[in-house]
Amino acid sequence: MDEDPIVRVLFADHEPLFREAIRVVLDNQPDLLVVAEAQTGCQAVALVEELDPDIAILAADLPDCDGVDPVRLVVDRSERCRVLVLARDEDQNALLQALESGAAGFVARTSPLDDLIAAIRALHRGEAMVPPMMLGPLLAALIRRRREQAAVLQRISNLTRREREVLVLVCKGADSRSIADELVISPETARTHVQNVLSKLGVHSRLEAAALVGPDDLLDQLVEMGP
Amino acid sequence: MIALRHARPRRKDGVTLRSAEGEIMLYDPEDERVHFMNTTATAIWQLCDGETEVSEMVSAICLLTGLPADVVEEDVAGLLEGFADAGLITWVGEPPTSPEEPDGANESGE
Repeated sequence: MDEDPIVRVLFADHEPLFREAIRVVLDNQPDLLVVAEAQTGCQAVALVEELDPDIAILAADLPDCDGVDPVRLVVDRSERCRVLVLARDEDQNALLQALESGAAGFVARTSPLDDLIAAIRALHRGEAMVPPMMLGPLLAALIRRRREQAAVLQRISNLTRREREVLVLVCKGADSRSIADELVISPETARTHVQNVLSKLGVHSRLEAAALVGPDDLLDQLVEMGP
Repeated sequence: MIALRHARPRRKDGVTLRSAEGEIMLYDPEDERVHFMNTTATAIWQLCDGETEVSEMVSAICLLTGLPADVVEEDVAGLLEGFADAGLITWVGEPPTSPEEPDGANESGE
């Protein structure tokens, strides 16, 4: 973490008056300095690349940048900059989306100003920041997801090694011919394997199978599973 | 703590979680007591639904915070024991004091 006592902040929000007000407040803190303001997600990403601030405060409702979440782009393009998402209210889905995109903190606009300042300092210290009343539901969502993944892995464990290979390819969007080419089998055999996979997973389509496996980490586990 | 892992704590009916002026508190209307909560205690309380095992709480906190499991286990056990002592939770399923793990370890104290 940077030893510089001044925390350099980028603030992105589409409301100019709000941006200006936050800048004044933050600049009045002895250890904070707003080095840039942005009005859009793309502008924020470009400014992060140019200025490499310590903290980027991004409004949760900034428009996507060519279809990509600006939070994810900032996290991908700067090793140093930590992202604090500023949401309209304490919305659990917005929190989950922010954390999944790589944000380190989340503050609602309904929070006191002191919470925003405390969150910036906490992120700069390397900590994560989630509103206290939202932590429990966030943990509950993580637990639900783990249970769902465990249930999916249980179903996948009924597949043979060959069927798991087929499932990995199905998840990557391969059709029967591609699967056949990849595994050096006939298209008919590939189709039979796909039908067996769908049947054992209890789904009706390849799309449903891919959705069931879902996240990348589960796909990785699938690839790594032994025979 | 090991005996707590598969225990499932459940919030006492009627106890409500409130937030006011930066403070989070539990209010128990039965004895009209107020319990002030920190962030971790609030989160653990919210997870006491009678379905979530203590081990799941610990895993989720480890995943989110990156803290070592033994540290989290000790904190969670301490909080739950505090809730239980104050009559704020009950246990569903196996009682936490009955050793069910192979090594028969006891739950840790504070």
